[in-house]
Amino acid sequence: MNDEQMRLSKDVITDGFGVIAAAGYINNEGGQAIADAANELIDRGCGTLLIDLEGTRIINSIGVSILLEIMEKLLEDEGRLAFCNLTPTISKTFEIMGLVQYATIYPDREAAHTALMGDASV
Amino acid sequence: MEVVLHLPVVPNVELVAAKAVETVGSALGMDRTRIEAASVAIVEACLNAMEHGGGQMVVRMSVEALGQRPSLVIEVEDHGQGFDPELAPRNSASRVHGCTSKRGWGLTLIRELMDEVQIRSNPGRTLVRMRKYVENAP
Repeated sequence: MNDEQMRLSKDVITDGFGVIAAAGYINNEGGQAIADAANELIDRGCGTLLIDLEGTRIINSIGVSILLEIMEKLLEDEGRLAFCNLTPTISKTFEIMGLVQYATIYPDREAAHTALMGDASV
Repeated sequence: MEVVLHLPVVPNVELVAAKAVETVGSALGMDRTRIEAASVAIVEACLNAMEHGGGQMVVRMSVEALGQRPSLVIEVEDHGQGFDPELAPRNSASRVHGCTSKRGWGLTLIRELMDEVQIRSNPGRTLVRMRKYVENAP
């Protein structure tokens, strides 16, 4: 089960735009680790967050519920949340749980960068 | 082929069941997306059993062929106080958006991710039976 332990990195790409790369099991602990990273980037002025889930293949609803809380916090501050590199099952789970109604899904990080950094509001 | 797991309530034990789904599904020739859907479903069933089941749970996996369509059948059994499946609401994004509690997605995800789901529950025994066909319907 060690390969499912959350591995996480975060970075501010440009002013207002932060990226979190998360690989591993998104359960309560994994979801909270992502939330902690997101809160740190928000506190550093990032209103747009991209969460790259390449390497994440298994999730549970408790972990995704924590991602919903991140999304609501960003929406309250008129920020934006995006995801990339989702497996089809994770994408479907996000759709069922309502993440895709408010967050944008990109196939990979390059497509996300192009779209988010090309937006003048970033 | 039959796999039976007696799982204690310990952190992340649901991943043992998910790993078994991956192993059995791969042996059956299921594609990765179908295996991952079944894995998330069994994780949710195990989490429900741990939260409400009051002790060790039993997970069984077997292969059935209905009308020449092979499928993976997964059962998760617990021994909690039970519930009425008919009264378990389907969760929705509109219900949880803006609410403090965002829990209660387990059965909704199981029903959406698996091809067939049956739930039998009485005081002392709840059985969630799920089927995932090896291939999509022709």
